[in-house]
This record gives sequence, structure tokens and C-alpha cells, in this order.
Amino acid sequence: MPFREKSAWISLLSMLCIYGVYFWSVKHAAPSVGSFRFGSLLETIIALVVVQAVLTVAAAILTPAEAKAPRDERERLIELRATRVAYAGLATGVSLACFFGALNPPMVFDTNALLLVLVTAELVRSGSQIIQYRLSA
Amino acid sequence: MTIRNEIRRLRFEHGEMTQQALAARIGVTRQTVNAIELGKYSPSLEAAFKIAAVFGMPLESVFHYSED
Repeated sequence: MPFREKSAWISLLSMLCIYGVYFWSVKHAAPSVGSFRFGSLLETIIALVVVQAVLTVAAAILTPAEAKAPRDERERLIELRATRVAYAGLATGVSLACFFGALNPPMVFDTNALLLVLVTAELVRSGSQIIQYRLSA
Repeated sequence: MTIRNEIRRLRFEHGEMTQQALAARIGVTRQTVNAIELGKYSPSLEAAFKIAAVFGMPLESVFHYSED
């Protein structure tokens, strides 16, 4: 498996697991916890950065030449296509969040809804990259 | 639209040149050479000219276009 595809897998799986835990905790938080929990989000982001950095370094150690090489034209095209797909989802999600935001939901809902849209867009981007790498393998 | 190519045959005729060796000479990854060879990725004009130059052939002898 090429290094760039490994990176996409690392990104997809780490975000699924770590943000999955975050959103699960938000969903199951006690009703009394009404405010947006910045500390919990900060912990999530730190965990994500650490996990992705460790796994990416490990992948780079296994294939150092590929990791050092700049992206070639096919890899750039795959990245651009994946970003275009993810952007369409992001724009749709933000529009929906703005629409529902106008209905005056609690702040905690609105902030987490926007975060969910962003995370989903990133998952779509990584997933789209993996699919394209698999199709052209 | 189909772009076929003769890369596999040309590699064979050039001393079984590996995909990795060809990739290094044109500045792409081995996976990209494999995708081009299998017709799963159409290379840029620049990459196509580089591949033809490696084999010392004109572009039309390496890549064939047909409107299937």
C-alpha cells in the first residue's frame, strides 16, 4: 500500500475513533451539562494530533523513500478530487447548520453541529482519497 | 474514449525495465506508472512525453487514442 494511501487510512480511522468518542460523550452528556465543553474538545484535538503524528511517522519509517518524495501528478489529482467532493458536503452541511441555527437551538447544539459537519467533510475527503487509490491500484 | 499504451511491451524490450525504474526516470511513483500501464490513469502531456523519451520513441508509438 503506498504511503499516501496509508496516510488517508490513518486520517480516516483516527478521526472516526477519536471524534466518535467525542460525539458519543456529547450525545450522552447529562442534561444539566448545557454549555459547550471546550476542555473536552481540546482533549479530543490533542489526542487526534498525537495519534495521527505517531502513526504517520511509523508509516514513514516503513516506506521512507515514498514519504520523502513530493506528491506526483496522480496523487495531486486524487487529492484535488477528494477535496472537491468534501467541499460540496461541507458547503451543504454549513448551509443546513445555518438554517437550523436560525431556529434558535441551544449554543451547544449549534457549535457541535458545525464541528460534526467539519469532521464529516474530512472523513469524506479521506474516504474519497482511499476509494480513488483503490480504483487506480 | 480509450487511451491504450505499449509501456509494458516497451519495458520488456528495454531489458525488463521495472516500473520503479521507469517511475524514477519520469518523476512519479511506481503506483502511478502501474495505473498508467493498466489504463486506469491518463498521464499529463508532460509525463507522456517523458515516458516516450525514456524509450526513445515518438509519443504516438507509445500511446494510442481511440473513441470507443
